[in-house]
Amino acid sequence: MKLKATIEHKPNIPTASMADIAFLLIIFFMLTITFEVDKTQVTLPKTTLRYEIPKQSAYVSIDPNGRIRVSDGTEQSALVSAADEVLSMAAGVIAMDPQKVFVVKAHGDVDWLKVDEVIDALKRAKVRDVYLLSDQVTVDDL
Amino acid sequence: MKLDRDRPDDEIPTSSMADIAFLLIVFFMVTTTFTATRGLDFALPEDDDDPPVVEKEESVLVEIMPNGELIVDQDPMGLHEIIPYLKPKLERNPKKPVIIRPDIATPYRFMVQVYDELRQWEDYGLEQPINISVPTQREIQSFWY
Repeated sequence: MKLKATIEHKPNIPTASMADIAFLLIIFFMLTITFEVDKTQVTLPKTTLRYEIPKQSAYVSIDPNGRIRVSDGTEQSALVSAADEVLSMAAGVIAMDPQKVFVVKAHGDVDWLKVDEVIDALKRAKVRDVYLLSDQVTVDDL
Repeated sequence: MKLDRDRPDDEIPTSSMADIAFLLIVFFMVTTTFTATRGLDFALPEDDDDPPVVEKEESVLVEIMPNGELIVDQDPMGLHEIIPYLKPKLERNPKKPVIIRPDIATPYRFMVQVYDELRQWEDYGLEQPINISVPTQREIQSFWY
């Protein structure tokens, strides 16, 4: 009996489109990446209402020990010694861009007095739009 | 004439392109940090040296104690009782100012809780946003009477 010669197919994974997929992923990351200007670790207060904060907003953060850091939204946040320094920074930022949005990123357990000093400094610097950074209220919190 | 048929085709070497692309992906995945980018908007009024005088009787005062207890117009009240209490007053005068006044030692999250609650006026059937005011200590010392 004559056996039919079998043609052997080498198994292979089609990789021709791998680079396309990889570049699509790169484009996705490049479009969605936001460079964090403030890396202060805080436990944010929780709210039901939360609105998207404009990109490149200036940041004022207050850590659990009451230390204040400020960032104009383009550079990494820097420690300041008193709320008066927030006033001078905010006044400088507002002089350059009167519509600049400021974000207050404060630890939920800091005394109101500390946040009050920061908000007062922003008011005096003629800042109009402030966002209080918050986490979403969950069912467990209710 | 003898033609040179052994000349290799011109081509760009792309075999390492996927490696480079995946290296870039790994870089982006490692450097991306998912951060909170949402919050409550808190429009600040103009810092006026001579603000309009608000008569105490015209406004509703919401005091927040350091333990989170709420005192509304001198009466203790729960968080979700504030708007039902305000509703008849706001229906008569929708512009009635509601002043949030936390104690200086009150944790910040309690103030945010109250502010968040007052911003949910629509859920209680009110037709207009509540006129919320959060005076700072400097303003209280300067203008409060």
